[in-house]
Amino acid sequence: MSSVIEQIEQQIANLQNKTVATNTGKILTIGDGVAKIDGLSQVMYNEMVEFPGETIGIALNLEEDEVGVVVLGEASHLKEGDEVKCTGRLLSVPVGKGLLGRVVDALGRPVDGKGAIDSSETYPVEKIAPGIIERKSVDQPLMTGIQSIDSMIPIGRGQRELIIGDRGTGKTTIAIDTIINQANINKVGLASGDPDFRPVYSIYVAVGQKNSNVARTLGILEEKGALEYTIVVSAPAADSAANQYLAPYTGAAMGEWFMSNGMDALIVYDDLSKHAAAYRQMSLVLKRPSGREAYPGDVFYLHSRLLERSARVNENNGNGSLTALPIIETLAGDLSAYIPTNVISITDGQIFLETDLFNQGIRPAVSVGLSVSRVGSAAQIKATKQVAGKIKLELAQFRELAAFAQFGSDLDAKTKAQLDRGSRIVELFKQPAFNPIPIEQQVAVLWAMQNNYFDDIDVSKIVEASNSLREFFSSRKEGLLTSIREKAKIDDDLATELKTAVDEWKTSFN
Amino acid sequence: MTQAKQIKEFAKQLFRMSLEDGELSPERVDGVLKALEKNPPRHLLATLKAYLKFVEREVAKSTAVISHAGQLAPEIVANIKSQMEGKYGRKLDTVERDDPDLIAGLRVVVDCDVYDASIQSALSTLESSLN
Repeated sequence: MSSVIEQIEQQIANLQNKTVATNTGKILTIGDGVAKIDGLSQVMYNEMVEFPGETIGIALNLEEDEVGVVVLGEASHLKEGDEVKCTGRLLSVPVGKGLLGRVVDALGRPVDGKGAIDSSETYPVEKIAPGIIERKSVDQPLMTGIQSIDSMIPIGRGQRELIIGDRGTGKTTIAIDTIINQANINKVGLASGDPDFRPVYSIYVAVGQKNSNVARTLGILEEKGALEYTIVVSAPAADSAANQYLAPYTGAAMGEWFMSNGMDALIVYDDLSKHAAAYRQMSLVLKRPSGREAYPGDVFYLHSRLLERSARVNENNGNGSLTALPIIETLAGDLSAYIPTNVISITDGQIFLETDLFNQGIRPAVSVGLSVSRVGSAAQIKATKQVAGKIKLELAQFRELAAFAQFGSDLDAKTKAQLDRGSRIVELFKQPAFNPIPIEQQVAVLWAMQNNYFDDIDVSKIVEASNSLREFFSSRKEGLLTSIREKAKIDDDLATELKTAVDEWKTSFN
Repeated sequence: MTQAKQIKEFAKQLFRMSLEDGELSPERVDGVLKALEKNPPRHLLATLKAYLKFVEREVAKSTAVISHAGQLAPEIVANIKSQMEGKYGRKLDTVERDDPDLIAGLRVVVDCDVYDASIQSALSTLESSLN
């Protein structure tokens, strides 16, 4: 009790009788979460303004004689004539490691019922992306734990790789798998005590999703032990359009803090289609001119300024990185729609998921032909390059030949071999959800595939064989896996060891 | 141009005609109102409302409203007036208002700028910092 009295006394002692200058305005109209304000002559673009009842808004439309403000949060108590004050501050959110394992809203306030967030630092939600001088090219891998992606469409730290596909094709699953894989790698790396190990912290931004979906994702992250390395920013479908618009920038601010402090972070924007729709709603209510599909003219800038904040910075700037995995939902596989083409052009590649493949049971349903990684191959480890260099080409040839093979029964031996190999690769890449595979196991399995160890195994048994081989390696050849992980390339010694091990497995599997 | 914009533009023109050497002239305002009465435009009411808004804004810019709790010496008012005129670079009228809610001290409002040196403001700052 005495401490409370001391605190009040301290506050009173600090209370100086000085003049406080504020710039104010009055609400002219309010509706749909947008208020038109008369006054606020000194307000800045994107400045936080304060309504009665400690409600916050952001000034988004600075017009000649009124200001359009988007109200963040509950606006039902606000009425015409209420006073609004400038704060002189741009919107900022709490950042730091204290947020790991927490679920926050678009303003960085905790929504998980775990109490206050242990964070003393704040970071502006909107910030100009790092410039050319601060950047460095992508040269470190970010393993997703998904074989088809790590081998054919590799992602590097600081890259922006779009995950795109129709609803229900496994887009979120790929992102969650990647987050789980980072947590798995972090656990191994931190336990090893390697001073050069750089953990990757994850941020998952849920925009316009059902609360049940967010709860399910949280449950999975918690179950897999990944939540302790993850921050979840949630602006569910029931949230206002303003909060849904802000959430990705809030997540980016949290991720950027890791990057600017020399750490690596991964951010998933799930998804930017809903983000664009929320921005469209807000812009229409603000009476901004609408363009194609009623989106405002700056919808490209909306996403480009967000995704440009993902970068790999050089040693002079801390050597950190922020990798982005934005998600876009297409309608009937239409990649040429407005928002998909925008985001495809901004990102450094895309992972396209096909409904047909998904329905055929090929999961993850990655379309090899339409997926690409523009910078990630520079970051791929040598071991993966050695074993997976030709796989994308082989798989692409397989798809083409498989289409032709449907028309005729007589096939020459070479075509048949290509088809056999392709169908085995397809089977090999099948992987259950939320079970990322460590890179050393991926290398071992792909090495066995490249060295024809799966050729005499029936196609229907490839998944079983692959699981068995991975099980064999993890239970009996732990040392070999560690060598692959540490050397990151297959030299002659390792190739001999791999051959001996796979031969041993083959006799037991048959 | 939409109708609302046209009305606003017209009201702005009327407002410009009401200024003399950059200051609002009561004679000119009277002249504008008489002219409108004589030749009413199509949307007279809306035009008058828009015109009123421009005039109100200009009046607010030229007026320092001094709210105070208790007595305020005339020299303090004169001092505030001269300081505010120096700050805004224009002549200001002063309006005094007794406001017991301030408890003590005073508050000066010029257009949308508020200068608050009242006990009420200090206490509300203290309250929010304790929250």
